[in-house]
Amino acid sequence: MYGLVALGYHITWVTSRTMNFSQGHAVMAGAVVAFAFYVGLGWPLWATVIVTLVILALLGVGLERVAVRPFFRAGSAAWLLSTIACGIIAENVAMLTFGKDARAFPSALTQKPILVGGAGFYAQELLIPVVGLLLMGGVQLFYHRTAYGKQLKAVAYNPEAAGLMGIHIPRAVMFAFGLSALLAGIAGILLAPILNVAATMGSIIGLKAFAVAIIGGLTSAPGIVVAGVGYGLVESFVAGYFSTGAREIVGFALVILVLIVRPWGLLGTRPPRRV
Amino acid sequence: MARVLCAGLFVAAAALPLLTGNTYYLYVASSVGLLTIVTAGLNVLVGFTGQISLGHAGFYAIGAYAAGVTSVRLGLSPWLGVPLAILVAAAVGAVVAGAALRVTGPYLAMVTIAFGIIVEGILVEWVAVTGGPGGIFNIPKPPLGQAYWIILAVAALSLILVANLRRSAWGRALLAVKGSDVAAESLGLSAYYVRIVAFTVSAGFAGAAGGLFAHLNGYISPDSFGLQASILFLLALLFGGEGRVAGPLLGSVVLTVLPEFLTALTDYRLILYGSLLMVSIYWLPQGLVGALAPRRGEETGRGGAGERGSRGEEAQGRACAERQVEPQRDPAGRREEQGSRGAGERGRDEAQRPRGPEAQGTGETLLTVEGASLAFGGVAALADVSLEIPVSGIRAVIGPNGAGKTTLLNALSGFYAPDTGSIRLNGTPVAGRPPYTIARLGVSRTFQTAQVFGELTVLENVAVGVAGPRLGSVLAALAGAPWTRRADEAIRRQALSLLDAGGLAEWAARPADALPAGLRRRLEIVRALATAPRLLLLDEPAAGLSPAEIAELDAYLIRLKTTGGPSVVLVEHHMDLVMAVSEHITVLDYGRVIASGTPDAVRANPAVIEAYLGAAA
Repeated sequence: MYGLVALGYHITWVTSRTMNFSQGHAVMAGAVVAFAFYVGLGWPLWATVIVTLVILALLGVGLERVAVRPFFRAGSAAWLLSTIACGIIAENVAMLTFGKDARAFPSALTQKPILVGGAGFYAQELLIPVVGLLLMGGVQLFYHRTAYGKQLKAVAYNPEAAGLMGIHIPRAVMFAFGLSALLAGIAGILLAPILNVAATMGSIIGLKAFAVAIIGGLTSAPGIVVAGVGYGLVESFVAGYFSTGAREIVGFALVILVLIVRPWGLLGTRPPRRV
Repeated sequence: MARVLCAGLFVAAAALPLLTGNTYYLYVASSVGLLTIVTAGLNVLVGFTGQISLGHAGFYAIGAYAAGVTSVRLGLSPWLGVPLAILVAAAVGAVVAGAALRVTGPYLAMVTIAFGIIVEGILVEWVAVTGGPGGIFNIPKPPLGQAYWIILAVAALSLILVANLRRSAWGRALLAVKGSDVAAESLGLSAYYVRIVAFTVSAGFAGAAGGLFAHLNGYISPDSFGLQASILFLLALLFGGEGRVAGPLLGSVVLTVLPEFLTALTDYRLILYGSLLMVSIYWLPQGLVGALAPRRGEETGRGGAGERGSRGEEAQGRACAERQVEPQRDPAGRREEQGSRGAGERGRDEAQRPRGPEAQGTGETLLTVEGASLAFGGVAALADVSLEIPVSGIRAVIGPNGAGKTTLLNALSGFYAPDTGSIRLNGTPVAGRPPYTIARLGVSRTFQTAQVFGELTVLENVAVGVAGPRLGSVLAALAGAPWTRRADEAIRRQALSLLDAGGLAEWAARPADALPAGLRRRLEIVRALATAPRLLLLDEPAAGLSPAEIAELDAYLIRLKTTGGPSVVLVEHHMDLVMAVSEHITVLDYGRVIASGTPDAVRANPAVIEAYLGAAA
């Protein structure tokens, strides 16, 4: 279920070798914006979804302009810090406008849990992997079958050559960040009913999604979705049998294990060493 | 002058408890000290090796809880608790680093965030030891004035230790790994190991600060050690100036005092941090210290060969604390530069003499490649390559673009492992061994795009090669132990004599970044020779050089050969150079050896003519 968020890392990584380190905060923004329109203003669900996704895509584009573009060319890792900076600013803004308390997001799909082997699932929780799979398929098709998707991958491989071939690089990177934030918006809307909406929900989601991205392989969309589903299942069972505290520890241990065995992820491709 | 200023600052800070009994001021000043300790340590990781950690609040927490548990749960003395805090934090740091440093850059940042959150989780869950969300109470507290003095002393000590480290072979190795991990490995350093040591040291500092924090506060709870604290640590360092010895101090002062003035804005604290972070990334890439101190590179100019005199001025431009803690460097440097030529010659002879007795004499084989093949995807970069390299002389490898020349060098130096076939160095199989192992066996190299360690001086670049993997104990380096300093003196002397032999002595004190391209290549060769290799691999050393510089390189290579230097493999496109210096030429095309022999034989070979001109002769 974190696979959905982790796909956002994948999209920008594949295009620009940069990421929004505050992807989790973008999810939070999606949930908060959706809450504001759906619960706060009482808009219908479909309108809420559309408005939320548009706002999130714009946020992603804005983030790219402010926090990534100045550093993309320089080849420095400053984008890492600047996206974190934007994330904590966003968290603070959300805290000031939305408040510090978590609020429930109503959904028809979280009324009664389905029990599987001692661990409970909501229908909503099953919806997420399905959406995740669909989006993963879409992203795969986009990158492997469409001309524009291939162009984006070319940018990642060699920005200078891609630029010479007539690809508008800033626009390509901006597009990737918009798309990435849009996915975060979808994830925010889907996760809101399960996790409750809170200004501080971002860090932990972003972190776990990154763990998933590492486990699955940043360069592999299917790997990420598989890892996301697997991670979610492991978490549910650990939380069910042991405690919620053990859940984080097991998750982290998994990441370490993967890093030791396959630093480039289960289904990722090993990056060639450039000498 | 600057030293006096720093000492005065220290005395003024020490006098604070005598001037004011205001506990609030003392508490804030103590917090500055604690933050200085953490960031001084973090500087070793972030500033020196260039790796970012967002999990140091975790080590801070481990230190604090180690001290708290020692004195409250076990009832032992706080004098035991704080050293224990350092040990526990450093031990955990070493274990975490071993796993986390298999990745670098953004991966590492995220893994460290995860570590911090896990620690926070354990603090909350492991109630029997940590007291859970409530934390630990009644930790013994010395009077605030005394606590402040202890913290101040430790903070000053931290800055001195880190400055010692920076001056040592370890410090150079850390910055070398930051500058180019590939080049560092080609000199025998394991980048992974060096980073682990840096991470462990920085974790130890954070643990010390945490232990002191526990005794300053008297009470600790998980709330103090969240991701926000990690971000604050990093922010203080970046704002003050990473890589600069004084950066942590300045950053800590600003980042502790500023929020105290803005207590009315507590709700906006994250916005404040975020904005400061953006400000320092955008406008202060070298931090406050960097912005206040004159820029090193600009002042010395970028490459005018006539500016010999500016070396002294450049040295004067260093920041206050750097000067304070490195009193010996400048005089020593000058002494070395004017030092007797005789000593220099001796040093060089020593360095250039091949190591093993078996390397003496000509005609013997140093390195054997048999049937090496390597494919990238479907493209065969090397196809069944076999060749022998004798213990002396220059062998050139030529071929059209994409023929696999650089791939061959990468395979020889361990950066690529051939899919099949064997590579033996003096009979030892080396195919697939890591680059630093092969470098330690006596294979050194340069790179197609010159990889100098930009933040080190030219002299230090060579010193990295001279020291190679022999870095000594990192604790001795931190403490500035006399034997470490003596060893370092010897290394610097030898590096200088090598620079002298390579015609770069006048550049010794410049940052390597400031060298013009041609001299960078020469520095790379001198640095590679500094490891006293048996085999030197040169990857297009003449690329981008002017005709005059190529002539110099030509003479340099011939001098190297006639003075008993190492065996050389030269990958090059400039045919005049290749024909002039090499005894033997191997021609590659599409990864295959298509010709091999003396320059004249190769020049007449129809297959070679076809490969270059594209048509059968």
